[in-house]
Amino acid sequence: MIKYLISVVVIVGFVTQISAQTVISGTVKDSLNQPILGAAVVVKGTKNGKITDENGSFSVQVPDAKNAVLRVSYSGFQTKEVAVLGRIKLSIQLSENSVGISEVMVVGYGTSTKREFTGASSQVAGEDLEKLNIPRVDQALQGKVAGVTINTNSGSPGGGASIRIRGLSTFGDNDPLILVDGVVYDSEGLNALNPNDIESVNVLKDATAGIYGVRAANGVILITTKQGRANTKPKIEYSTFFGAQQSAKRLSLLNANQYAVLKNEMHANGGETPPFSNVQLGEGTDWQDAIFQNATMSSHNVSISGGSEKTTYSIGGSFFTQDGIVGGDKANFTRMNARVNLNTEMSTRLRLSSVFLYTNEERNALPENGLGSVLYNTINAFPTQGKNSYLEEVSDIINPLLQIQNTYNTSYVDKFVGKEELAYDITDKLTFTNRFNYNFALVDQKVFSPLAWFGPGKSQNTALNEDLDPTQVEIAPGTLIDRGASVYEARATYADLNFESFINHEFDINEIHYIKSTAGVSVFSRNGQGLGGTAFNIPNNSIEYADISANLAPGGFLNNTNSFQFQERLLSTFIRSEYRYKTKYNGSLIVRRDGSSRFGPNNRYGIFPTVSGSWMISEEDFFRWSKITYAKLRMSYGISGNDQIPNFAYRGLLDGEGDYVFDDVIIKGIAIGRAANPDLKWETTRQFNVGTDLKIFKRMDLTLNYFIKNTRDLLFQPEVSAVLGTAGPGSFPPIINAGDVSNKGVEMELGYVSKKRKNFNWSTSFNATQLRNRVLKTPSGVDFLPGAQFGVGGNVATRFQEGYAIGYFIGLETDGVFQSQAEIDNSAQKDAKVGDLRFVDQNGDGVINFSDDSDLTNLGSAIPTFTFGYNVSMNYKGFDMSANLYSAIGQKIIRNYERQQPYANQLAYTIDRWTADNPSNENPRLTTGLTDNTRFSDFYVENGSFLRLRNLQIGYTLPANLLSRFKVSSTRIYLAANNLITITNYQGYDPDLGSFGGPLSAGVDYGFYPQARSIMTGLSIKF
Amino acid sequence: MKKLALQLSVLSYFTVLLFAGCQKFLDINPLYTQDAENFFNNPVDYDRALTGTYDLLQSSFMTVWIGEIASDNAIAGGESISDTEGLHQIENMSHNGVNTELRNVFRWNYAGVTRANYLLENKNKIDFEGKDKIIAQAEFLRAYYYFELVRYFGDVPLVVDKRLGADEVTDIERAPKSEVYAQIETDLTNAANILDWTAAQKGRITKGACLSLLGKVLLYQNKFAEAATILDRVINEGPYRLLDDYTTLFSVVNEGNSETIFDVEYSGAEGGSYGCLICLEGNAAPGFHGIRQYNGPVYGDGNSYNLPTQKLYNSFAPSDIRKDASILDIDAFIAGRDITYAKGGGGHTGYYNNKYIKRIGEIGLPDNDLTSPVNYRAIRFADVLLMAAEAHNRKLPSDDGAARTYLKIVRDRVSMPEITSGGSQLTEAIWAERNYELSGEGHRFFDLVRTGQAAAEIDGFTVGKHEVFPIPQIEIDLAGGKWTQNPNY
Repeated sequence: MIKYLISVVVIVGFVTQISAQTVISGTVKDSLNQPILGAAVVVKGTKNGKITDENGSFSVQVPDAKNAVLRVSYSGFQTKEVAVLGRIKLSIQLSENSVGISEVMVVGYGTSTKREFTGASSQVAGEDLEKLNIPRVDQALQGKVAGVTINTNSGSPGGGASIRIRGLSTFGDNDPLILVDGVVYDSEGLNALNPNDIESVNVLKDATAGIYGVRAANGVILITTKQGRANTKPKIEYSTFFGAQQSAKRLSLLNANQYAVLKNEMHANGGETPPFSNVQLGEGTDWQDAIFQNATMSSHNVSISGGSEKTTYSIGGSFFTQDGIVGGDKANFTRMNARVNLNTEMSTRLRLSSVFLYTNEERNALPENGLGSVLYNTINAFPTQGKNSYLEEVSDIINPLLQIQNTYNTSYVDKFVGKEELAYDITDKLTFTNRFNYNFALVDQKVFSPLAWFGPGKSQNTALNEDLDPTQVEIAPGTLIDRGASVYEARATYADLNFESFINHEFDINEIHYIKSTAGVSVFSRNGQGLGGTAFNIPNNSIEYADISANLAPGGFLNNTNSFQFQERLLSTFIRSEYRYKTKYNGSLIVRRDGSSRFGPNNRYGIFPTVSGSWMISEEDFFRWSKITYAKLRMSYGISGNDQIPNFAYRGLLDGEGDYVFDDVIIKGIAIGRAANPDLKWETTRQFNVGTDLKIFKRMDLTLNYFIKNTRDLLFQPEVSAVLGTAGPGSFPPIINAGDVSNKGVEMELGYVSKKRKNFNWSTSFNATQLRNRVLKTPSGVDFLPGAQFGVGGNVATRFQEGYAIGYFIGLETDGVFQSQAEIDNSAQKDAKVGDLRFVDQNGDGVINFSDDSDLTNLGSAIPTFTFGYNVSMNYKGFDMSANLYSAIGQKIIRNYERQQPYANQLAYTIDRWTADNPSNENPRLTTGLTDNTRFSDFYVENGSFLRLRNLQIGYTLPANLLSRFKVSSTRIYLAANNLITITNYQGYDPDLGSFGGPLSAGVDYGFYPQARSIMTGLSIKF
Repeated sequence: MKKLALQLSVLSYFTVLLFAGCQKFLDINPLYTQDAENFFNNPVDYDRALTGTYDLLQSSFMTVWIGEIASDNAIAGGESISDTEGLHQIENMSHNGVNTELRNVFRWNYAGVTRANYLLENKNKIDFEGKDKIIAQAEFLRAYYYFELVRYFGDVPLVVDKRLGADEVTDIERAPKSEVYAQIETDLTNAANILDWTAAQKGRITKGACLSLLGKVLLYQNKFAEAATILDRVINEGPYRLLDDYTTLFSVVNEGNSETIFDVEYSGAEGGSYGCLICLEGNAAPGFHGIRQYNGPVYGDGNSYNLPTQKLYNSFAPSDIRKDASILDIDAFIAGRDITYAKGGGGHTGYYNNKYIKRIGEIGLPDNDLTSPVNYRAIRFADVLLMAAEAHNRKLPSDDGAARTYLKIVRDRVSMPEITSGGSQLTEAIWAERNYELSGEGHRFFDLVRTGQAAAEIDGFTVGKHEVFPIPQIEIDLAGGKWTQNPNY
């Protein structure tokens, strides 16, 4: 703060010189003498500058032609300073820059350059994302940035992904803060963003993200959308692709014959009558064949960009649609985007930036990733029964085809995101910026449940019988009415309004001391509200009439009406002071103070400081390694916060469930919901980062980072003593601050760009991340927090526990299979039968104790130890080729899609089960009787490591003269494949498995909707 | 000069924003809900808080399970031995401090106690007509929840008319059983004095419920003479008589009959999910007790829990109609009919609980397996008659004549011959009669322990240990770790 005040005081006394002007003109070209369009030519020390036109030409006014210096910069090239020396015509050549050391990058509330920046960050160019043809930005980022782990939560069209910057640091929400042109864009809503609209992505990984204070603990992703260039004619681009998708993998399941043989054996072992008198049933039904289908996807993008001298613009429109490889159009995702990005100089000192993004999306979804999901049913359906069967032997497995047929679940989103920003240059060095950001979403959901019959006893039945007669419901004692087809409709609106005001000040003293300051305020408010209800007795059992108004028709009624509303607010002030000594030393101090309505008056405000510095060691005289042309050491330490807890958690509200039945009618009472904790405060993350950026052999860039990230006072809802009475329905323990988590890791990014030549160019990049995640402390009295359950009603398989990774797997360790009774008699498992799994007696007490923890052990976790990304691209004359690989190593996956049930189908490994004739030491015997083999053990844990060729493409750019008479400047056609090859030992569909229910459910596979393999062909034309 | 003025004004603008802040901006209130600390301002508030206190009664299905499975009456069953594993441990008497189901009993009943205390700590906030009846119901409910706690766990922390703060938990000790019983008796006596024999709504607590539970609580403490006096009042002053047909006693249509003294009320109208059984408004027991993959008439599909044993089945006299009314012999039932079902991997006896079982027509939508509208008959008149008979028989001096009279009423209904013995033979007969009459209703284990028969009847039962269940270990830890575990756990 004091630093900031000093810098402002200095400005107050600053007077700009004004003198006679000379016009200087010239051209800017690249190393191949091609004109550069859009390069910025600025008179050094002023804001006076111009942008080059398509001939690379510019003209600027300089006050003093003898002493003036022009600063010429262009993205991807090294910035050059040219002394005018009295000349009036200049020819300037820029050389390409592989890393863009001088490239301007967006940081919080201002810009920086890679050279100056003191933090750890990674940039990805929009075109690198666009090229992948992946509809979600987060998924496209996978493998592009070290330290950022992206997992797909669902491979279905429109399915989500989880982004983890430098590991899991909290028990609750681990999503980073995502800002699109400065507007908060929650990661859940990331479906709405079109990757083709993105100019660049900057990931702030270390404590320098602390300028965003209470939202920065999980890292910050800054996305910039495309902008036009000044002095350019309208440039029209059109791109399109069409893709065919298919499932990349089928599970190896039993066919009908194998199934019958194994089930007979299983029943016999359980002392039951074998169900199949004839096992010669052939292949039977291949349910996977029945479910998986080829599906299409297509995309169209149009954009126009350009600018006059004072105004630049970029306008885009797009359409994207994708069917699912399971469910086809029942899993369709369709998105339409419109975008306007407008910058204009309203006067010489006043600039307006306006961004407007509109999205309309529609998504159909099938039940996924859980008991009862389509794929879970598919895997467990019996091959002995036909495609129209009811699979009657198991009540909770239904025919997946019937399930798809009767699922109508559509959500619609209309989203308006934008900002209006006015920047006023008070002086050449002092800019005052005010901006208003908004993010409004209208979310509709419609779920139609027709009268459907899945077979006797199936809980999914909505009809009474096969004839689809409706069931009846008792609305008052003795009064029964039909309960026909129903539709659930809900509408919710969410509105973020954000006003931000800040000043940026930049000056130098004799070009030795450079001082940059930023100070500002941010006022943020989020409101949401929704209404929903179910109407019963939809006419004709048809989706055509599925509207909530059907409740007004004769026999119709409305049920389960609900509503919600919330509001939350943030009030923040922040300052950042940066000092640079020549080009050698950089120092930065950030302080942000946040107030959040999520916390009570006792702890409403938090202060988050960060210090960071860098040393350009290659600028020192003693630095003599000529191979290294650029070397920077960086260090940062800071505190950032997390307030991602429910609203009003500090207060005790009467929102629990207190219902009881009087006179046969459910009467709503009240109960205390979450217990109050008035002392609730921020969760804080303290992060230390040390790193280096090197440029070796001129063309190779290397970045290394080591970080320690400790999160304290985790916002937790641990169990509390029963005596507090928080275990009733709708009641919850208070949220408290307890527990510590640590993430440590090393990141490396290596890039190489070949020297620019006429015919052949290539570049490659490699990134690697090593991460270690540990829980350091749990709340007092709580040994662990239980996570996901294995099987049905089975053991808790994942935990949050001191000394282990978040969500580590805990279970029994196996040591082969019992081969003889003698072996059992000498073991710690006297009740076992020959052929059962042999468990390791961890505590050595001579007994495998199934009723407590004493013989359980750590079976790994879903967090990879290493992740790697590799990208290569090359072009030869008109041809180009690129590939993108991603690998994650060391994570484990729980195979939880096997229904442990006498009739459920099984994976083909069971063919190699233990029998007297096949003394397998890996797979236990099959039985319908009592067995401990179904307990959670490492038998159900698999290595989830994989290597995936995410994208491979070959393109050809038509010679420029071919279509020039149609005013086409460039045409590229390409053929691409996504997820072409995956190398893994994992038996399930897709090892790239995220989490469906928070950090403790990560790595639990319930029959995950896999990412499709797709082959695409595309075209892009520039006019 | 102009520029300087502008710069200064920008500077002052920020100074104001930075340091003054706008505190009120962050002071927002949740919409359409009330604070716990600013409630009980009108009679409706009291009534709603009372309804919330009743809610925890619906956890009764757990006692129907544990009361049977811990005894010689039933095995746990289910899909596999790790399906609701806590019940399997209880079946085998291998349960210890880590047991989800026992922990649920501990937590749910304290949730009930806390909701009652929340109302009772505010009982003097305002006055209005009818408040005394609301207070009386809350006192009954607190007594009911504490009785569950004390008979499961022995000494338990006793909190009365207040809620504990998170930091007070570590200070609280387990109160001796006698203190807890004293509080239960006080609450029930107060409530019985206020409430009438009949209530305006089905499901509300009556004087009969208060006195019957008081009699039961006295019987559990072997205070036979006092129990006899209280239970006689229920029999002589109350409006109760046995329903003629035992076999239809447990159907939805026969709810609120003349034998009903205290029912836990359920509805099938709301559905729910397996993830939160305590959130259900329907009775989970019948669906869970149902026959796995059942496809046939009369019954519905279920999860094959809480399966009666051969021993129980054999214990009935062949002519006793309660045998088939209480236990479904599945193989006999399906013989020659086109009915299919599956055996669960958690055990199979061939028998199902025929009192609380999913029947066609007793719907609990949308997942018919999960909920049922069938009320749990927590205290019915036959139970009171048998408790009174036992109290008269065991009090000093005993009144075997009264005991035989009461026993005869129960046996007459099912056309069983009169018992003519006296003394300890009569005691044995009354105890046996309790199981013929009440098996499958969650009483057996507690009766066996109370009467000292547990070691003889239950395999694996250790005297000096299994009379009470262990305090859940995590609850000991969460309360600061200083409670001593029950003996031998």
